[in-house]
Amino acid sequence: MLLSELFLPVLMVMFMLTVGAYVVAVLDRLIAGAFGAPQAGRVWLAPMARGAWLMTQHANATEAPDWQAWRLAPALYLALAAIGLAVVPWSESLVATDLVTSVVLWGSVEALATVVIFLHGWSANALLALIGGYRYVALGLSYILISMFVLIGVALPAESLQFTQVVASQEALWNVIRQPLGLPLFLIVGLGMTFWGPLNLADSKDLAGGTASEISGPPRLVWDVARAAMLVAFSGVAASAFLGGWMGPWLPGPLWMAIKMLAVLLVLLLLGRVLPRIAPERCVTLMWVVLLPLSFIDLVWAGIGALL
Amino acid sequence: MNHGIGIDITFLSLATLAVVTGWRVFRTDSMVRASFFLLVSFIAVGVIMILLAAEYLGVAMFFMMAVEMTVMALFMVMFMMNPAGLNPMNMVHQERIAIGAGIVGFLVLGAMALLAAFPDQPVSADLEPVRSLGNEMLGDSMLIFESAGIVLLTTMIGVVVLSSHRGRYGAAAVGSLPPGLEPGGDPAGKLEEDEEEESGGHQHHHHH
Amino acid sequence: MAVNWLRKLASHKRAPVFPVLGKQGDKALRYLALSPEIELVDSPRHASVLLIAGEVPADRLEPLRRVHDQLPDPFTTLWFRNEPWPHLENVDRIDDLTDLPAALTKAHRELMTGQRDSGCRILSDRPPNPWKGEGDFGQGGEGMMGGVPYGRPMAMNMQEDISDGLTLDSLTFRLGPFFMAFPPGMAAEVTLQGDLVQSWETQLEPYPQRLDAVFFNARKHPVPIAEIELARARHHLQRLYHALHLAGLEALSLSSLRLAHGLSTSSTLDGLRRRLVRSGFFHLAAVGGGVLNTEQARQFGGPAARAAGLADDLRSHDAGYRRLGFSPVCQDGGGVSARWKQILDEVEQSLMLARQAERDEVYTNDVDCIETPRGPWDEQPPEDASAILDEILPGLEWGDALATIASLDIAAVADRGGGTQSPGESRAVQGGSGNVVK
Repeated sequence: MLLSELFLPVLMVMFMLTVGAYVVAVLDRLIAGAFGAPQAGRVWLAPMARGAWLMTQHANATEAPDWQAWRLAPALYLALAAIGLAVVPWSESLVATDLVTSVVLWGSVEALATVVIFLHGWSANALLALIGGYRYVALGLSYILISMFVLIGVALPAESLQFTQVVASQEALWNVIRQPLGLPLFLIVGLGMTFWGPLNLADSKDLAGGTASEISGPPRLVWDVARAAMLVAFSGVAASAFLGGWMGPWLPGPLWMAIKMLAVLLVLLLLGRVLPRIAPERCVTLMWVVLLPLSFIDLVWAGIGALL
Repeated sequence: MNHGIGIDITFLSLATLAVVTGWRVFRTDSMVRASFFLLVSFIAVGVIMILLAAEYLGVAMFFMMAVEMTVMALFMVMFMMNPAGLNPMNMVHQERIAIGAGIVGFLVLGAMALLAAFPDQPVSADLEPVRSLGNEMLGDSMLIFESAGIVLLTTMIGVVVLSSHRGRYGAAAVGSLPPGLEPGGDPAGKLEEDEEEESGGHQHHHHH
Repeated sequence: MAVNWLRKLASHKRAPVFPVLGKQGDKALRYLALSPEIELVDSPRHASVLLIAGEVPADRLEPLRRVHDQLPDPFTTLWFRNEPWPHLENVDRIDDLTDLPAALTKAHRELMTGQRDSGCRILSDRPPNPWKGEGDFGQGGEGMMGGVPYGRPMAMNMQEDISDGLTLDSLTFRLGPFFMAFPPGMAAEVTLQGDLVQSWETQLEPYPQRLDAVFFNARKHPVPIAEIELARARHHLQRLYHALHLAGLEALSLSSLRLAHGLSTSSTLDGLRRRLVRSGFFHLAAVGGGVLNTEQARQFGGPAARAAGLADDLRSHDAGYRRLGFSPVCQDGGGVSARWKQILDEVEQSLMLARQAERDEVYTNDVDCIETPRGPWDEQPPEDASAILDEILPGLEWGDALATIASLDIAAVADRGGGTQSPGESRAVQGGSGNVVK
């Protein structure tokens, strides 16, 4: 019992965490190469070489950081990514934890991610990291609300807060068609959660790496892996909530899920390479003035759909 | 009660974590740290609630407290004169009253836990906790509550937009005058400044 | 054994290099940006090789020492056209640009495989301020606040907010002269309120830039317009590279640099311009602020002035250019986005002029007053304009402020014959490390 309820799910999440982060690193490099970034060596080896380099590098210190928070933040972010991966259903029965409230748990992962990213920037006790952390709070508070409304929207037709039920409710029609505003809004949330590409306000170039500007060695490796794993977890949630999860003809469920997750990942990574970083103020204005009202409309749309 | 030893161990460690981090809130020297110690304490309580089969309330605790504590930390840092919340500061004030209130609270709650007779009504195994909780709390008023929630949120955003200095037509303060002290009188603040200039700084205001 | 295997794997990584730019060091930076085996990083914490490119003036040696000590172990240094400090062991000096990528890769490999020892620290690891405040909680005095705990004063000096009315604590710090988003050599003391620049004081002027030789030749004798216009376009494209890198458009920034690298009269800007517009650079990125008023624009000269609507261009007085039917292009607006639109237009115009001039073999006519890509050079070469930042940056958000700096070509133009030291550089400065304020 202990084996099936504790050991196997943990193993499964660890496996997805490692493979997922690696796939993100390779895909991102391939996309960068396709857009003309100089390539050297073998693409599949590069993430591992980078990991090995960070393992050999020492973790540096800043002047009087908040050690506990500074060292814990990358690990906590990784743990949040693992929780996110744990609620993603791979088939009707293949779920690490099939909580009744897994949609709400994902919502709290989003909220706690804001806390962890802020702490990562704040605790370094260094200027640029600090600005990154505070900037991220502004972004985080903006995207969480959008995410909540979009997720309530997908929970309505399922009449459940459980991801397996949400997937099952898409038997006839995927949510991406039933609620056309949902997936685009949710993708923006995904970019925000992982501060990827256009929404990279926390670890941005203009802050020389932002919250990560002061870390080196193993903590940096954990931080990078956590970010990539969070992107994978997000794509799993997006695939379950909008693309019908494991459902599809001919192929087995987990394979469909993997294909859909890859598709979401590809879209996110492409957006990350194509768009410039949005100016923070413009970003926050966009979130509150345009995207949040759109998420209201999405919710009302979903509500009317559920009533009819 | 039939539950494994694992549940007991989990409960005890979570309860200890909740109490210890709750105590650290008052012993730390930083607003940010205090907020997030409190968050850890709440999360531990949330997990205990999940152990008690209050699954929705426990998980809801996570995300509500995460956002709440972030906002609290942010607002404290914004309004205290402590640069970016990095400098140390004393996190306790009016210690005596607080200690007294704490002891009284502890005694009352402890007495309730020990002396009250709790009902013993086992629920059926096929009860859906989330659905029944929703029905119990909101019942037929679900739509009203949800609508009111969105209206409140919209109102908050509207208030922020209106109270910001920057408006669609430029800075809000430009060209505006404070109202007069008496109806139809001269603007209040402006006049005072002029007077001060005229008096050449001989008089000083004592209240600022 | 396991460690050896790990280190061997690590040596296959692209060499992570933090460039410290001395005079004329930016050429090396742009060369390395296109080298596939080098990864240029923005923070010294992310590097294993510190590249000191070009001569670093004496007043920037203290910050250089600090940056040097910020690299995490194991690290090493490489000196490009600069003499290594005598007490550093086993570090190389490279003078040929084409050898640089290989030397950096070699340094990284040797460091990883253990053939080269990690560099040693120069400064003592001591906090500059006593890291302890008075009072029970170190809060620096009675009650909740007061004093200067940890060398960081309580934010009692609240200034009225200049943006949205929410008054926040102000935070003052010094940044530069090796911060990657500043022009090489520039350092500034900045007061931020939240994310907003409250005040800006440029403390060290950027190094004077050395323009392409053709501009100096043009001061002596007529030169082919094709040549001078290609050099002008190249200069602008190189600046565009820095701005796009800052905006997070990595692929486009490299395209811009590649275009500059292989620029000829048959090059076109269409592809780059189309991709730039489609990426949403002019709508999404931080291009909102940095508006120069007419007076500032006139003082600044060059493309920045033309982006603000002033049609001043010394080329329109030159007989050679008149033969080609030159008339200056202008933008109105004078902000960051207008400047980049102007730069794109000018690059296009330069390419067109170069094509025409090559066909008709047209030479410049005037030698005593020429239009450089930085601005007009009649009696004096264009002077340093970093003081203008102190006026236009307050009120901007950090991202907008950096985008404004990237859009302005503020460095003076070095008079190649004379000394390259400008009077501003001798100004004393105390602090300013690469990235971190201590």
